[in-house]
Amino acid sequence: MTPEKAKRTIETDVLVIGGGGGGLRAAVAAHTAGARVLVLSKGIVGKSGLTQTAVTGFQVAFGYADPRDNPEVHYGDSIRGGYGLADPDLARIFCDEAIAAVEDIEAFGARFDREENGNLIQRKLDSSQTYPRSIKKGDSLGTPIMQALRREMNKREIPRMHEILVTKLLKDGDKVCGAIALDFQKGEIIEFRAGSIVMATGGAGELFPVHSNTPDSTGDGYALALNAGADLVDIEFLLMLGHAVLHPATVRGVLFTFQYLLTKGAKPLFNSEGNSFLSNYDPEGSDNPARHIYARAIYGEVRAGRGSPHGGAFFDPGSVSRDTLMGSLPSQTKYLESFGVDITKPIEVGAAAHYVCGGIKINTQSQSTVPGLFAVGECSGGPHGAGRIGGNSLTEILVFGKRAGAEAAAFANVKSPGAPDSDEVLSEANRVTSYLSRKRTGERPNVIKARLQKLMNDYVGVVRNEEGLLNTIAEFERMEREDLPAMSIAEDNRIGNYDWIEALEVTAMTGFARAMAGAALLRTESRGAHYREDYPDLDDKNWLQNILIRRTGNTDALDFKTNECKPGPEYTAARAEAK
Amino acid sequence: MEKLNITLYRFDPSCDSEPRLQSYDIKPDGPLSVLQAIRHVYHKVDGTLSFRNSDCRRGVCGICSMMINGRRQLTCMCLATDGMTVEPPPNRTVVKDLVFETD
Repeated sequence: MTPEKAKRTIETDVLVIGGGGGGLRAAVAAHTAGARVLVLSKGIVGKSGLTQTAVTGFQVAFGYADPRDNPEVHYGDSIRGGYGLADPDLARIFCDEAIAAVEDIEAFGARFDREENGNLIQRKLDSSQTYPRSIKKGDSLGTPIMQALRREMNKREIPRMHEILVTKLLKDGDKVCGAIALDFQKGEIIEFRAGSIVMATGGAGELFPVHSNTPDSTGDGYALALNAGADLVDIEFLLMLGHAVLHPATVRGVLFTFQYLLTKGAKPLFNSEGNSFLSNYDPEGSDNPARHIYARAIYGEVRAGRGSPHGGAFFDPGSVSRDTLMGSLPSQTKYLESFGVDITKPIEVGAAAHYVCGGIKINTQSQSTVPGLFAVGECSGGPHGAGRIGGNSLTEILVFGKRAGAEAAAFANVKSPGAPDSDEVLSEANRVTSYLSRKRTGERPNVIKARLQKLMNDYVGVVRNEEGLLNTIAEFERMEREDLPAMSIAEDNRIGNYDWIEALEVTAMTGFARAMAGAALLRTESRGAHYREDYPDLDDKNWLQNILIRRTGNTDALDFKTNECKPGPEYTAARAEAK
Repeated sequence: MEKLNITLYRFDPSCDSEPRLQSYDIKPDGPLSVLQAIRHVYHKVDGTLSFRNSDCRRGVCGICSMMINGRRQLTCMCLATDGMTVEPPPNRTVVKDLVFETD
């Protein structure tokens, strides 16, 4: 085979990788700062990504619904919801800048639901909010945000490229200077040269068999950043929700957010013996506990032999009426009904991977530990710590999207663009295209992916323990030695070859899965979204520490280290009260 | 579940002179959306089929919109039925099979 070279080289000031809400907000901000911007998505820029599927609300402390609310109270809620491990400076920023972020997105044309007096409607979603704070747009909050950002992108004629999978970040010395990517439609390798890069690649739900994410949420961004030498932080905190529909398979994993509509005292779930059980698992004895408790409680019932046929529990239709559901969640309700779900009968719900609370470690400029590499949204880490309270992720993408874009533009403006090592470009182009010439005798990527998903579900999901994590890490290492090198794709056609894409994704997924399992093994306590059955208690004495992960030199090995976190009085007061 | 026959549009501009329709028999464990049926064919029957995998799977993004039995619909929102045909929308440049120029 002739050595593969990049077919084209494309230059820009700021390269944004990811076309969801965080990526578009960053692109608009970088454009405002005068930079040449290019947005890439492995799907369709402005249409793919998870932002558009946001349902319930996002938190902005206007204090309309309750004048006692303000950014300081929002900050306290976020620190407590992050179980003391959120980066206080980052949490402060998104609480303080949330109001301006809403004003910006409204200036781009988004409209949210208002009271008759013109104030935005603010609701209290659950006990994580001290006061009603979540703003909404019907039951489809993501739609107006994405429409506004798409309109702004079009108005400014910001260039974009669809269906481009970035496979490697390129560096010149310490700083990033570009990326190598595969064009799905043409099957060509493209080299990008950029003054700075914004990662907006979303999460990693696809590491699990049931998840609330889009099917392309394969965690590519984490793996790219790790390989470029950046630190990841807090990735052991994988938020699993317990209110995803499990049956029928047509709607499996889609969230059914009934828990925000429960009246006081309602018992929304029951087990196969007809008994409610949530209060048995909640430290505070509530039948509508914090959202990560739902999954843990259902897991406990399933393991005790009291689960539903598809491994979950039953939603009790008596706890929320169809009228209430149609009034507050018309899109979800109609969607479920269109696939034959009878909303007035018990519905099987259970655990689904929802959100990686950590990610690429960022500072207050939204910059990673690698100069010129910025990150925003789910792929970034720091603002949330050990748990993310509902409604904080949209706030985060708008606040840090604006920061990341502006800072990336400033970085690209000051530094000379740099050039990658040409051998590195060639070697990556050949790694990517080597799949085309492999023998057709190995397992296809989806077979290996299913193996990885089962391991993640069984040992790195809702409940973890040392033995399971050790065995899983060993199995991931074996897969990297044996399964991935032997993997083959269905054909060597370059055009629209999804197996080729999936082979690259599965390789990235395995690396990130190994990192997540490693961090979960190291954290010998239970905190927020991370639960170890062999260390079931929260341990502030030893574990007010963030776990940082970096690759060891230029190898695939990983270094884990801990770094003390000082959460401040908001956390210590709440802990004292809990005791 | 019973056997499901579905017919999908196939066209590779790099080697085909004309598009063709290819019929597949699948035996899923239970009901599938049309989009899930396409994925099922791809993973279990024919890995040379091209399709898009960056959709929202819940009726919001519109990426998976195609012609189902001649009517344009979201494939994630429709149940797969025996004997159905799925094709790209007319007047769209086809990249390959079910991947076509977007709106």
